[in-house]
Amino acid sequence: MPILVIRNIRKSFGQTVALDGVDLSLKKGEVHALIGENGAGKSTLMNLLSGVIQPDSGIMELGGKAYKPANTTDARRNRIALIHQELSLAPHLTVAQNIMMGVETSRFGWLDRKALFRRAGKVLENFDHPDIRPEKTVGSLSTAAQQVVEICRAIAARAEIILMDEPTSSLQRDDVQHLFRLIRKLSADGVSIIYISHFLEEIRDVADRYTVLRDGRTVASGKIAEVTDDLLISQMVGRPVDMLFPPRKPPAEPARNLVEVRDLSAPPVLKNASFELKAGEILGIAGLIGAGRSEMVKAIFGLERSEFGKLSFAGNPLSPGRSTPTDRIRQGFGYLSEDRKREGLALDLSIADNITMTGYSSCSKFGWLNLRRQRGQSEELIKGLGIRAQTPTQPVMTLSGGNQQKAAIARLIHQKADVLLLDEPTRGIDIGSRSKIYEIIAELASSGKAILMISSYLPELFGMCDRLAVMRRGRLSPIRPISDWTPELVMQVAIEGEDPLSL
Amino acid sequence: MKKLGILSFILFVVFAIGCSTPKTGAKKFTIAVIPKGTTHPFWKSVNAGAVKAAADAKAQGVDIDLIWKGPLREDDREQQIQVVEGFVSQGVSGIVLAPLDSKALVRPVEEAKKAGIPTAIIDSALESDQITSFAATDNKKGGNMAAERLGQLLGGKGKVIMLRYLEGSASTTDREEGFLEVMKSKFPGVELISIDQYAGATRDTAKRASENLLQRFGDQVNGVFASNESASTGMLLALQDINRAGKVTFVGFDATPQFLDAMKNGQMQGIVVQSPFAIGELGVKAMIDTLLGKPVEKRIDTGVMMITPDNMNSPEAQKLLNPPV
Amino acid sequence: MSIEPTEKLTPMDGSAIAKWLTIIAPFLGLIFVIATFAILTGAPGKYLSPFNIRIVLSQTVIVAISAIGMTLIIVSGGIDLSVGSTIGLSGVVTALGINAGYDPTIAVMAGICMGGVVGFVNGAVITTLRVVPFIATLGMLGIARGVAKWIANQEPVNVAPTWINDLVVTFPNPPWLLLAPGVWIAILLAIVMAIVFRNTIFGRRAFAIGSNEAAARACGISTDKLRIWIYTISGLFFGLSGVMQMSRLRQGDPTVAAGTELDVIAAVVIGGGSLNGGQGTVLGAMIGALIMAFLRNGCQQMGWANYVQEIIIGSIIIIAVAFDRLQSRRA
Repeated sequence: MPILVIRNIRKSFGQTVALDGVDLSLKKGEVHALIGENGAGKSTLMNLLSGVIQPDSGIMELGGKAYKPANTTDARRNRIALIHQELSLAPHLTVAQNIMMGVETSRFGWLDRKALFRRAGKVLENFDHPDIRPEKTVGSLSTAAQQVVEICRAIAARAEIILMDEPTSSLQRDDVQHLFRLIRKLSADGVSIIYISHFLEEIRDVADRYTVLRDGRTVASGKIAEVTDDLLISQMVGRPVDMLFPPRKPPAEPARNLVEVRDLSAPPVLKNASFELKAGEILGIAGLIGAGRSEMVKAIFGLERSEFGKLSFAGNPLSPGRSTPTDRIRQGFGYLSEDRKREGLALDLSIADNITMTGYSSCSKFGWLNLRRQRGQSEELIKGLGIRAQTPTQPVMTLSGGNQQKAAIARLIHQKADVLLLDEPTRGIDIGSRSKIYEIIAELASSGKAILMISSYLPELFGMCDRLAVMRRGRLSPIRPISDWTPELVMQVAIEGEDPLSL
Repeated sequence: MKKLGILSFILFVVFAIGCSTPKTGAKKFTIAVIPKGTTHPFWKSVNAGAVKAAADAKAQGVDIDLIWKGPLREDDREQQIQVVEGFVSQGVSGIVLAPLDSKALVRPVEEAKKAGIPTAIIDSALESDQITSFAATDNKKGGNMAAERLGQLLGGKGKVIMLRYLEGSASTTDREEGFLEVMKSKFPGVELISIDQYAGATRDTAKRASENLLQRFGDQVNGVFASNESASTGMLLALQDINRAGKVTFVGFDATPQFLDAMKNGQMQGIVVQSPFAIGELGVKAMIDTLLGKPVEKRIDTGVMMITPDNMNSPEAQKLLNPPV
Repeated sequence: MSIEPTEKLTPMDGSAIAKWLTIIAPFLGLIFVIATFAILTGAPGKYLSPFNIRIVLSQTVIVAISAIGMTLIIVSGGIDLSVGSTIGLSGVVTALGINAGYDPTIAVMAGICMGGVVGFVNGAVITTLRVVPFIATLGMLGIARGVAKWIANQEPVNVAPTWINDLVVTFPNPPWLLLAPGVWIAILLAIVMAIVFRNTIFGRRAFAIGSNEAAARACGISTDKLRIWIYTISGLFFGLSGVMQMSRLRQGDPTVAAGTELDVIAAVVIGGGSLNGGQGTVLGAMIGALIMAFLRNGCQQMGWANYVQEIIIGSIIIIAVAFDRLQSRRA
């Protein structure tokens, strides 16, 4: 008798379909692994279950009754607790206060501190973790200990279902083992756990059953002991590479090395990356989120302090550590942020301003903008990239996600960058804009630009790139021509860290 | 769009300026009284005096419409200037003003005169010959009296603190100078250990300033003079807080029930009392006389008296302490 | 892993209307205030008389000039609480300059530059010491006021009459100016700054760092340098306000303009400026300043007590911002 049943759940955000028919059943006391590629819909599903968002259609049943959480409090009341990828603790409060948050003990409205500490202590007893004292402030604890506090909070709320979204992403190996012991103990006590992770070895270690999501759909489900890793991987990535991608000619050999990067590191995330980037090529960087791919391009672009390494452009050595984006832009680098809203575009400002922001010099004299020229240049790019906008002066905010992204790319073109560092260029974008962006990128490459493209979407890497490398836990694998890779191999390197080709 | 906005704005202003002229011609007199602030009890008494003057005039058949309005932010000269200017453009018959500054208010007062509106000054002086009269306490005399009293009580020796009120306030500066003048000439044995600290605009700032002073000079202080109501209150509160009230000879300025209690308890040995009521009454009366074309004295003394624990119940003192409101 | 909700496609004309509305809303507010009082006072002729309008405009000069500078700061995502103190300090410096026998023009320059220096220090503290603008300028509020009192020897610095005194009088000399020279200076500066915002790289970058500082940095804008410039230039405006204040008072008063920063911020906000940065117009700020000045003037003409004005102006600030939020939510 499953405790939680999910049937045919759908959810879309605007034009983006996040979930498109998800089924899942969770038994009492089991650890259920939820796996899938980045963007398959796992986090969306967790947000639905914990009441952060509501489904468009479909059924959720909890203990045989319909379950429709209106908000997170509602979910808590139904004994469902979510443990986020990023911890959601109050660092200035004590362990006890964090554990008992929302279920504070009180006497006639007065906080009963003694009972609070006593009950928090009791919950903590479950996990032999003597260094976590109820009166300590959470900020002083290690990440692993904080994770324990977070789990204790779920227990204190008497959760019967705990959702864990990549709980090991910030943990060291020992702590991972510790966490697994906790999970087994919880499961033995009858608590059901949905466990999201990319790491197959973790899943094998801790989970009983699994469900694979792909493109917002459930594609497979079963007992973990009955499948091989290879089967799981092919279920995760197994979709045909569609016709989205423009034909590409590999760059004429011998292409010159435009950029060379040696032993670049930007602690704590990026540990080591070496590669060279040729004019006219598209180099793909695959890997899991948080593996250090964005940190790598930021370090190159001068947005993140890099500690070691060499960097050269067209044979001239550049100082990697202390340079600013201003320097890099002057040297011919262009950067497209993975986070359009926070780092990419000034949303209140006009399209024209956003496009010309890095290259004002081409439409100004002595600090005075030639508005007509700025407008003309913007209009040209708007037309060239097929940005659907009425006028260059309308705020970027009013564009759809895909068109915003095109505007961000237009900026790199306007800036006349020779090296384009593109971080997730098609994230959260509808199919139409996506194929247009592929077309633009291919065109830029054939005009001799060097392009580095980070993506979590394997088909696009395979459809676009000439060469590919995989980042795993801060280390970049050797680069190989795309023909040497298969999606399964990429996943294997990203997840397991072993490069079968180098064996 | 923006250009259009600016353009239409300028057009609007020009149009507004071009299309109308001010109209005056009231049969009765409208007199605006502008105090320095509106929340001090002192100014409430001035108001009562002003109302009485208006009522007296009415009894004699002159209809007076009295408007009472202080600066939006008390003790802010700019704000008081704006109030004066507002009344000028409103076209009142006359203005009775207690200027926050002897110079800063000169321009608006002279502009008022140019617009045909006379101004009578009360309480603090204004350095202008364009005013009709000046009705105020003789502040210097008040300061002299305070020094006499304090010097006598201390027997001509000891250490004395003087707490000033606010930078640039003419009336209190006169008191302070009057105090220092007599102290230095008549009681050379008295050591003035602090004469440059300001109490600030409110009781709160005054109390803090007093606390800091007392903290610094601790037990050496024998006598204290504070030059207005809020400074005296702040000093009294500070003395009470550290249990020194009654152990220090304290002469203050202005009257509040709190000071009278303090005198009964021996915590204050004297207060110099002016007559805010008379200031309001005589100031407004001078303006009414000016408007009626009667001759008006240029300088009107509204009286000042040293009230001590001994004479505080005398009819003379009571008249000042409990003015007929 | 995250799925980003793409925004709903907004119909273009809807956003155009919204933009238009945010521009004219303050304007409508001003007309509403003027019309209301013209009717309420029962003597529109008197309320809208050239005399009264001259007075109101002259009274607005100080807040208006400062509001131009504040617009620059707020657009760039900052705030400056030290405006009132800077005005006091600059006025004192100007007055001291005149008394020291310098040419009035030099004294005026010194006063303006004093404001620039204060602004520069604000900018430097914010960028190099990484103190948030609110705190940095809160500290400067005290420091500038203290320095003003110190160099003024704790009393107003009176000056002999010079042409400076005629800057913000009600009756301009010569009369064909119609408005006081200070009013014309404010109008001129407002136009100049509106153009700077629109037509210069500096202006666009100020908007860019206010709208999205991370994006601005990724676009190669040296945000720290820019911020120091912004505070310094704004400081010059506050310094000029200080000169105007000293002109009105005919003295450098170290205690003047306490709390004026709130009027200045209110003017910018009423005019459509957003404290989150990236939004605001000079024209809007000017209208915001005028709304408050006309309101004060009107309340006085009505014979309403001070607390009535304070309540009304407070409410207007809230209404203006709420209206703005409503707009942006719809857009």
